[in-house]
Amino acid sequence: MNQTETLVEAFRREPPAPLAPRTLTLPRPEETTLANGMRVVFVENRRLPLVSYRLAFLSGNADDPPDLPGLTDILTGMLNEGTATRTSRQIADAVARIGATISAGANSDYTTVGAGALSNYQDETLELMADLSLRPSFPADELELTKQNALQNLIAQRGQPAFLANERLAKVIYGEHPYATVAPTPASISAMTRERMATFHREKFIPNDAILIVGGDVEREAVLRRVEELFGAWQPGHVEPARFPALPKRADRVAYLVDRPGSAQSNIVIANPAIKRTDPDYFPMLVMHTILGANASSRLFMNLREEKGYTYGAYTSLDARRAAGSFRATAEVRTSVTGDSLKEFFYELSRIREDLVSEKELRDAQSYLTGIFPIRLETLDGLLDQLMQIRLFGLPADYLETYRERIEAVTRDEVRRVAREQLAPDTAAIVIVGDAAAVRAQVQPYAETIELYDSTGQGKEK
Amino acid sequence: MMLPPIPIEQYALDNGLRVVLSEDHSVPVVSVAVYYDVGSRNEREGRTGFAHLFEHMMFQGSENVPKAAHFQYIFNSGGTMNGTTSSERTNYFETLPANQLPLALWLESDRMRSLKVTQENLDNQRNAVQEEKRLNYDNRPYSNAFLRLNELIFKNPANAHSTIGSMADLDAATIEDVQEFFRIYYAPNNAVVAIVGDFDAAEARALVEKYFATIPPQPVPPPVDTSEPPEVAGRHETYLDPFAQLPALMLGWKAPARRSPDFYPLALAGDLLLEGESSRLYQKLVKGDESVIAVQGSIGERRGPSSLYVFAIPKPGQTTADIRHAIDAEIKQLAAEGPTAGEMEKLRNNLLNDSVRGRQSTMYRAQRLAEYALYDGNPELFNSELERYLRVTPEEIKAAVARDLDTDNTALIEVIPATPAGAEGETPAPASEPIPNEPEQEPGDPPPQVPPQPPAGPTSPTDPIEMPTAQAEQKI
Repeated sequence: MNQTETLVEAFRREPPAPLAPRTLTLPRPEETTLANGMRVVFVENRRLPLVSYRLAFLSGNADDPPDLPGLTDILTGMLNEGTATRTSRQIADAVARIGATISAGANSDYTTVGAGALSNYQDETLELMADLSLRPSFPADELELTKQNALQNLIAQRGQPAFLANERLAKVIYGEHPYATVAPTPASISAMTRERMATFHREKFIPNDAILIVGGDVEREAVLRRVEELFGAWQPGHVEPARFPALPKRADRVAYLVDRPGSAQSNIVIANPAIKRTDPDYFPMLVMHTILGANASSRLFMNLREEKGYTYGAYTSLDARRAAGSFRATAEVRTSVTGDSLKEFFYELSRIREDLVSEKELRDAQSYLTGIFPIRLETLDGLLDQLMQIRLFGLPADYLETYRERIEAVTRDEVRRVAREQLAPDTAAIVIVGDAAAVRAQVQPYAETIELYDSTGQGKEK
Repeated sequence: MMLPPIPIEQYALDNGLRVVLSEDHSVPVVSVAVYYDVGSRNEREGRTGFAHLFEHMMFQGSENVPKAAHFQYIFNSGGTMNGTTSSERTNYFETLPANQLPLALWLESDRMRSLKVTQENLDNQRNAVQEEKRLNYDNRPYSNAFLRLNELIFKNPANAHSTIGSMADLDAATIEDVQEFFRIYYAPNNAVVAIVGDFDAAEARALVEKYFATIPPQPVPPPVDTSEPPEVAGRHETYLDPFAQLPALMLGWKAPARRSPDFYPLALAGDLLLEGESSRLYQKLVKGDESVIAVQGSIGERRGPSSLYVFAIPKPGQTTADIRHAIDAEIKQLAAEGPTAGEMEKLRNNLLNDSVRGRQSTMYRAQRLAEYALYDGNPELFNSELERYLRVTPEEIKAAVARDLDTDNTALIEVIPATPAGAEGETPAPASEPIPNEPEQEPGDPPPQVPPQPPAGPTSPTDPIEMPTAQAEQKI
């Protein structure tokens, strides 16, 4: 298929050398603290007439009251459904009229309200964001509608195999730890009231547990004045340090089969508990994860997709959170090669623990991680997310400046050491969502025990 | 507010390759987008899904780049990349540290001039694509029903069939098909290269010349007929979905071609009806009537006849007939009264905000520039299209709704869960019979692009209902 057979172009035989490197100028955020304890981070960027805001709280779904799993999620979803002075409809219209976006969400560790707009609407946008965050009224009729729809969403998400896999995995890895919860329950939704919501909001949305990040085409003094006006009178509260139960100890390798009759694939997740985000081994883990499964040139992808053709993609994920973490290897494979895929997964998990990675693999992974770093900073929202994560996880202030050095300092020995310490194939949890009748025998050789569940999450007879 | 134009330089090589350059020194990265004028609309009968399968083959090696080395060269230089296929085109793109521009051009030119295919690699990628189809369609609620909706909207097979294709057609693809497709469509005169970011224009021009100028042109590919009669191909079907837990309603209309005078007002009407929580259908159905838990939709933009769809999930006890009636009433009201002054202000500010935000990323700019160069021969549209949208009047929006969202010329699918929630293990409900005189349903055929699934990871608030979008696009 060579369209240029007559041409011999020797310069094409080897990849070209890079041009002279171009330097990245890192932004210099400034930080101040209001009298009520709210931290304010400001970063100016006048490239385009835009502004972005993030208001982040250091509590998340893991801090839900034990009797109301999902409260933080439902509560953040209701912030735009009414405030002391605006109805749901008025909020929707006010945000849309100025072309802004405001959205709130929570993960297990944090709750954030984010907003973005053209810089000529920076004042209106910040005022709306402050109103939603500080003065939600949780109107009774809106709460009732939210609850009805949330109950239907619980039903709908059971059609998604990835949800079923994530639900079972979180339960077996995290046990009594609140990270085990991935969704509200029908009972918790039904039990949510305006009073519980208002109380929880008052306790958790407090300035001394909050960080506001402002970035873009903004003028420092004007923004700080406005922030003081909007947030200065907000009363601090009491921050209760979270105390979470330990993760269950895993003694052997167990397969958890979630039966989804007629499933067109098996969703496989192999996991074990691993580091939290602030662990000193984070950087060696990141490099190990990159070599093993982070992207389309990692070992798992090359093996299970490019060599074997079992799947559209096989990856690992480094689920390192504030209080605990797990390491996961995943693929969605056709049903008939479920067992063959497990064989390749365990081969790769054991290979990276036994043998040193090659010099080239290490260099390639480091070069990937240091190279994609500036791409993340291309957009204002990308930059703000980095600045937010540094503060939410309590990472060093020079994190962005030293990120590339820390990646480059990782050695082959460290990669193998963290693989040995943090990958536990012998006691791994294997979660498979698929047609149990078709995969059960294939899984048998890879697990000491097989537990069977149905797609409602209940245990089934063997 | 006026947006400053971005600098755009456009030229062509002697072999017909169109080149677009746009310098921006704010971040030391560069994005390269290579667009080929071939998509699923060019596929012949019996080879649906081929353009996308071929896209996978473009990562399987060329004269100087071994199989899978493309991924590795890009990632190992600190870049990101992908390729996607839609009905309209196939694109390949990468963002790299700025000093790696030669690498991107070396890789893209090597596969444009000397793709290598083997039976083993074709079989391997056929497997990967079939798993992609299972992952994104066959194993997921609502996705295949959405592909079916496209077949009810369009009569012309070039428009109606899906980009992912059918399992049987994927199985039938041969090495000879791959070679023929490469010869016909993957020629420099059928492609655009756009480069945006931190580079020196003279240096970039010299590199493009070095790597692409000696690739010979090919005869112009055969033209595509995407013409459609005004009426939809089918009016009403039921679809028994093996994985949906809740019933759903899908409606679809034909829409004017992108950038035609009638397209602009209809696109804005679609925003008023469907975009965000202030939209008319959200306020009517989710809030006012409380009849659905979610409603979504968008316009599927094509060079030929396009489409607009609406997707809603009714609450228990609600009939799809009532919901359809409410949607029709909203459409008729917009057609009779037109948008309000407040809605026009909202459209204007959202157009501006979206336009400015999109410009932050070099990849976004490279892709839009390549599209305008490929479809319209005019990348300068990047700087002028916003103005074109801002000129649309309320009267034009009103007229577009009356003309194009004819409530009698609508395709409709009712999705029925085969195993209703809570009934697992019981006998599935019998499928409703399709309305007579409609084409036979082909389960496992075409679709909406649903976002690629991330690996099971940490808990994050996600929408439990992943809804399809009209821009059917497959990634590698």
